[in-house]
Amino acid sequence: MDGKFAKISPFQIDPDKIPALTAEDFAPAGESEKASMVQMHKSISYWRDAWRRFRSNTVSMVALAVFLLCLLFAFVGPSLIPYSYAEQYRASQKLAPFAYSKGEETIRSLEGSCDGFYATALQPGSITALSKGDYYISDRGSTYAFSLTKAVEKSVLILNSKAEEPLILVKETDLQPDGSYKAYEPIAFTESPAEGAARLKLVRSVFPHVFGTDSAGRDIMARTMYGTRVSIIIGVVAALIVLIIGSIYGAISGLAGGAVDFVMMRIVELIYSVPEVLIVLLLQVVLKDPLQQWFDTSPSAFAHAMSDLGAGIVSIFITFALLYWVTMARIVRGQVLQLKKQEYVTAATALGASSGRIIRRHLLPNCVGQLVITTCLQIPSAIFLESFLSFLGLGVSAPMASLGSLCSDALETITLYPYRLVFPGIILTVVVLTLNLVGDGLRDALDPRLKK
Amino acid sequence: MDEKKTLLEVKDLKVSFFTPAGEVKAVDGISYSLGYNEVMGIVGESGSGKSVEAYSIIGLLQSPGKVTGGSITFEGEDVLSFSEEQMRQFRGNRVSMIFQNPMTCLNPVYTIGNQLVEALLCHDKGYSKDQARARAIEMLELVGINNAEKRIDQYPHEFSGGMRQRAMIAMALICEPKLLIADEPTTALDVTIQAQILELMKALQKKENTSIIFITHNLGVVAEICDRVSVMYAGRIVEQGPVNDIFYDPQHPYTKGLLASTPRLDEEGRERLVPIEGTPIDLLNPPQGCSFGPRCKDCMKICLRQKPPFVQVGDGHISACWLHFREQPGKGDKT
Amino acid sequence: MTGYIVKRIVVAFLTLLLIMCITFLLMNAVPGSPFLTEKSTPEMIARANAKYGLDKPLYVQLFNYIKSYLQGDLGTSLKMQEGTSVSRIIFHQGKFTLSLKLGVYALLLAVIIGIPLGCIAAYNRGKWIDGFLRVMTTVGVAVPTFVLATLLLVTFAVKLQWLPTLSGSLPDAKSYVMPVISLSFYYTCYVAKLTRTSMLDAINQDYIRTARAKGVKTRALILKHALRNSLIPVITYLGPVMAGIITGSFVVESTFSVPGLGKYYVQSVLNRDYPVIMATTVVLSALVIVMNLVVDIAYKIVDPRITLTEKED
Repeated sequence: MDGKFAKISPFQIDPDKIPALTAEDFAPAGESEKASMVQMHKSISYWRDAWRRFRSNTVSMVALAVFLLCLLFAFVGPSLIPYSYAEQYRASQKLAPFAYSKGEETIRSLEGSCDGFYATALQPGSITALSKGDYYISDRGSTYAFSLTKAVEKSVLILNSKAEEPLILVKETDLQPDGSYKAYEPIAFTESPAEGAARLKLVRSVFPHVFGTDSAGRDIMARTMYGTRVSIIIGVVAALIVLIIGSIYGAISGLAGGAVDFVMMRIVELIYSVPEVLIVLLLQVVLKDPLQQWFDTSPSAFAHAMSDLGAGIVSIFITFALLYWVTMARIVRGQVLQLKKQEYVTAATALGASSGRIIRRHLLPNCVGQLVITTCLQIPSAIFLESFLSFLGLGVSAPMASLGSLCSDALETITLYPYRLVFPGIILTVVVLTLNLVGDGLRDALDPRLKK
Repeated sequence: MDEKKTLLEVKDLKVSFFTPAGEVKAVDGISYSLGYNEVMGIVGESGSGKSVEAYSIIGLLQSPGKVTGGSITFEGEDVLSFSEEQMRQFRGNRVSMIFQNPMTCLNPVYTIGNQLVEALLCHDKGYSKDQARARAIEMLELVGINNAEKRIDQYPHEFSGGMRQRAMIAMALICEPKLLIADEPTTALDVTIQAQILELMKALQKKENTSIIFITHNLGVVAEICDRVSVMYAGRIVEQGPVNDIFYDPQHPYTKGLLASTPRLDEEGRERLVPIEGTPIDLLNPPQGCSFGPRCKDCMKICLRQKPPFVQVGDGHISACWLHFREQPGKGDKT
Repeated sequence: MTGYIVKRIVVAFLTLLLIMCITFLLMNAVPGSPFLTEKSTPEMIARANAKYGLDKPLYVQLFNYIKSYLQGDLGTSLKMQEGTSVSRIIFHQGKFTLSLKLGVYALLLAVIIGIPLGCIAAYNRGKWIDGFLRVMTTVGVAVPTFVLATLLLVTFAVKLQWLPTLSGSLPDAKSYVMPVISLSFYYTCYVAKLTRTSMLDAINQDYIRTARAKGVKTRALILKHALRNSLIPVITYLGPVMAGIITGSFVVESTFSVPGLGKYYVQSVLNRDYPVIMATTVVLSALVIVMNLVVDIAYKIVDPRITLTEKED
């Protein structure tokens, strides 16, 4: 037959190049041979896949790393520096970043001759917890304490108002409530830093005030670390409160449907249209005194734990519990309604699965992506709200610190010491930024349908 | 084929999508030509590359898709070498396209009339606004929309699915293009509406002398409207020929399988419908041999090793399968 | 349409009523009295309470509030210059106008700058300008208003001395610059982000492919077809923006010493000036509610699919 090969379509195979074919070539191929031709993708689980997608998102991974650094800064940092957020060092007031007070300079001048201790300026007349075996150096009215060992026995140092007078170390347990004490043990005391240091042979260096100090002589880095911790805890707890209340409310509304759903959603709409910030401000003022009273009178451990946080923070939580769950409730309800329509849920219902089982097996696993994303993005908004309230003087109160209250404190002296705003401001921005980016990354990873 | 009668010539067209997972050869060297006034069907299952091929003709291919080889010639002009502006003037004017889902293909925030007039005005044909509007009304009447004067100021959501597809057709034909590419235009519609739309397209094709490339997975639709059919599988044409040859004398096992799995009303159809076993191949890892091999019940050793060449099996009817060689083993005879 | 608006206005009144009740209850839950000072004796407090009707049962007080509000009377201040009328304080001394001006300018700035920035980013997707705008807007929504406001103040007023430190009653154009920028920055960035996302979303829609197939120019594709559709989520966001701008105004007014309503509200809460708290809450809430209504109507204009008779959920 002439022209058996089609000429109208110049194709990928030149007929002349077809190799000689034998009968063997036309033998039927086996099933396994056919199967081996096909290479299919491996299917991987939802979470593995989500993690793979998240990992491949460089921005989110960097954000996650930076956020973890912030966590380290907030939670591990305070134990690495010798200053606390509340301690006031009178000799070190209003220091610029990396600046030293006179006494600190003196000790720094000894650097190299000894090693192994750090110094803290003590205020005459103050009561400071120290450990036995510490040494003290007097320097023009300021007294420096040198910690040689970790606390062996918790003791209290009583300093007279004039530092020249003898110092007495008292066991904490021997300290009477009225301020009197039983002398316990006179402590080693040297007149000159050099002598003390020579005796100790243990000078390391004075830890710098990396972010400087504030007007009360508190180390700003210690306060910023502490403030970051407070802000992150507030954000996480508030987001969890919103998650719990919102998802329960939304799930009930979505699952119940009908009149229940109608009424519940009208309530949500009403709360939604209330300008919440006005109510939040009012709540902050309203809740302060009753909360304080509750802390003081209630014997329960819960009240005790809450009083550690302070009335300001607890009323922020209450505010979130009252007003901020509506968005979460709407999202969860939307998800539930959408999932209720899915065939596999209908199928499960048709097969007689109980509603509890349907919630556990079908609704929850499918909602979880949305819940994680929304909760993650709720944290920065809670941090924002807290800092806003603290900025207006309504959130946490001194000596506690949050990033917002630190900024607020800095505002008074902003023209002289702008760095006091810059450090907490930058940390606040970085925490919120990284959380936003991680949240966006989670959304792309957990909900590929949303990815554009 | 006579040069003068050729409207569109596609030669060894290759299109790849460059995904993070690797290169996906969506179209792997296809060739065909289309005459004036001809209706060609392209049939294949989803993912066979039929839409991608159409998009590359009209320049709608978007990143990460890219034409990697071959040529497209339209009325003697090389389409692939067009500048962006030339391509824009070409689209909608000389070639236009209608899509699968009329529900989402019209912009919801503009009136039907606005969108029709826009199609006309963006090609500098010297129409004034009033003339363009009159032309739009004329087109709407032509596609069978009653009360077009009033309808033209309505929004897409006020139209039913069938009406929207009619409006889409009116929009596609408003510039009197030489070629209309219809990408599954009836798939999303109810069966009765499908028939109406097909009737309309047939009538308009005769009236306006437009060539049509009709992309579908529905063989019934192909039989209804097409002169010629190309059957695509995994980015390649496996069989091509006049519509009657394809339906009554299919040569390629895939075409046979498709026909066996399609219900037919025109025959004393008591025979069972036979599905094609298996799933289409993964285009990321195409097999070395015939793409259809793994699903072919007549698969042979050679099919696993090498892709089959085309064989002329009838007048204008070609098929690519090693089975055509089985009768005479040895080098294909050319003498 | 008219029916819908009437219904919405009724709902708005109900919401305001609810807000009044909540505010009233919260106000009265605050321990202490507005008349409590170091010098005051119990009799003096009782006399003052009687004078302002604070000795009556709570429901009577609430009822009186609602009654006088319906008559357009916002009551008299308990603190400011003995018996100054609240509406006078809010409206005539320019507090409301100041806050409103700041809010409106900030909103306009957010829309006028934010939407084009979003378009530019989406249009140049993947290019350096998109990258730059994405970084800027992402960082922008993480900077708290007070940090930005303070930094602007230090930089432009204190160090460079280009702009006045105290904006006061906003006497000239210069004094507007910093308050309006700090108030609108977050929202400008957010609107730009939102516009970019919804624009990219719109670009992937089928109707854009149709328009491309018609031969529509790229610019018209973006400006006509994609933009209007992508504005829909942006408009939805404008309601919350208004509420957020009021929040922000508290901070901005205190940073730049603008004697506006926001600053005044915080003061009145701390002073327990009941009639003023109530009036300010109602006025600001009304502003937010009206804004939400406007947003819903703007919807109708942009998206013809919404008929305003039924509310989508």
